[in-house]
Amino acid sequence: MKSNAFGRLRKLLSRDSERGLMKSAAIVLVSLVAFVLVWWALSSIFPSEYFPSPYKVGVALVDSFQNPDPNTGVTMWQHMSKSLVRFLLGFALAFVIALPLGLLMGFFKIAENFSRPIVEVFRPIPPMAWAPFFFIVAGVFWGPIMPVLLGVFFPVLSNVIFGVKSVDPLFLDVAKTQGADRLTLFKKVILPSAIPYLMTGIRIGLGIGWMCIVAAEMIVAFGGGVGLYISVMSQVGKWDYMFAGMVVIAALGILTVEVSGYVERRVSKWMGMK
Amino acid sequence: MDGNEVVLSIKDLHKSFRKGDGELVAIEDFNLDIMDGEFVCVLGPSGCGKTTLLRVIAGLEEPTSGKILLKNKEITGPGSDRGMVFQEFGLFPWRTVRKNIEFGLEIRKIPKEERKTISDRYIDLVGLKGFEMSHPDELSGGMKQRVGIARALANDPAILLMDEPFGALDAQTRNLMQKELLRIWSEMKKTVVFITHSVDEAVFVADRVVVMSARPGKIKSIFDVEWERPRDRGGVEFASLRKKILAELERETVSNR
Repeated sequence: MKSNAFGRLRKLLSRDSERGLMKSAAIVLVSLVAFVLVWWALSSIFPSEYFPSPYKVGVALVDSFQNPDPNTGVTMWQHMSKSLVRFLLGFALAFVIALPLGLLMGFFKIAENFSRPIVEVFRPIPPMAWAPFFFIVAGVFWGPIMPVLLGVFFPVLSNVIFGVKSVDPLFLDVAKTQGADRLTLFKKVILPSAIPYLMTGIRIGLGIGWMCIVAAEMIVAFGGGVGLYISVMSQVGKWDYMFAGMVVIAALGILTVEVSGYVERRVSKWMGMK
Repeated sequence: MDGNEVVLSIKDLHKSFRKGDGELVAIEDFNLDIMDGEFVCVLGPSGCGKTTLLRVIAGLEEPTSGKILLKNKEITGPGSDRGMVFQEFGLFPWRTVRKNIEFGLEIRKIPKEERKTISDRYIDLVGLKGFEMSHPDELSGGMKQRVGIARALANDPAILLMDEPFGALDAQTRNLMQKELLRIWSEMKKTVVFITHSVDEAVFVADRVVVMSARPGKIKSIFDVEWERPRDRGGVEFASLRKKILAELERETVSNR
């Protein structure tokens, strides 16, 4: 939902006419101001330490970046970098495994028949259900990374398989009449036409990956992480700081989706598929 | 055209597809010799197997029985010795015009400089100078098919196979492309097998028009068109041959009901 709304926002902002741009920017501003106002009004009507005002959260947010938090001993910068490192490692591993496997499963019937049942058994298990197991087996560093790996793995895998199978049969005919053998078909036709599907898989995987890292860190994480931070802040009753952690997660999530959207646009432009 | 050497020889071709429990006969008793440099049109009602015929020649389908000889060698699969032009163009959207045209050359590992020389020649021939770096989605339908023709010719095939190449174009572009194709053909002196369901198109471009019957697809009649090009679509000869072929086709459609 977040990425959808943001995509529409970006579309609004990318309109050519200057007047239109001003108008959409104004609407965005009004929408954000309205959100903060409603939040502020609700927190004044229902005063509660569990539901701090935007001002208090803002103060906590600034403070969390400036001063190390006494409970975890580090600043938000360090929590963020811990979470990002875990996230990127999990994502990279998932990508490195899912891409070749997806290509094989899409291309070779036998690879698919062999792997499909195994994949189908594992797919319905929520990545977080693995967390306790991974903490024991993979340790405190790799433990929280594994759920991310699983969360990213399946969307990338199924989209790559689908991409390979969705290759236009006309393209295959064209390549064959041009003298292509099977390996050439794979390299020069199937692989490039699967790339847009791969991008979709990545975009979905990024969203799931963020949910997994925060949740995994909330269960167990050592040495920091935004998920850990949120969980600790709730345990010690610093609700404004807990909300500040959630704001950081939202910002990081939007940032990754934006980066992947940018990469996707660059790749499709480079490939001539707009 | 010298017309004394047979380039493509179709012998007792039979092609059927399995369909449920039964079998669908697409082509039956098909015999045809095509001469060097000849422009042959295969004309027929939709579903008569004319596209199947072309796909068998291209090697994309295997004959059920019978054989096809290209320069006395039996065709066993697809290959770059036959250039194919598709109705829906089939240009790779991720490749530029030049890279699309060089696709076959790339596969055959022809060095980069040589590829460029060849693609330059065909870009020039089909009139796409200045569009080398464009991607297919930036081109009009007519321009896309120019790329399709250049790509098929770039491998210097013995024969050019064209499957309703202008079927996806509007009428005006279609007429223009027919003229362009004839210009290219007279420059390249290639043998052409051209599939169409338009009588007008067939009479305008072909040396010989092969009319197929519907299901099973057989040769019904062959018309020689021996007049000079460019042909006058408004002329008396044109109209009378057009009428004759149309009558032949109509009988075919009626007898099939």
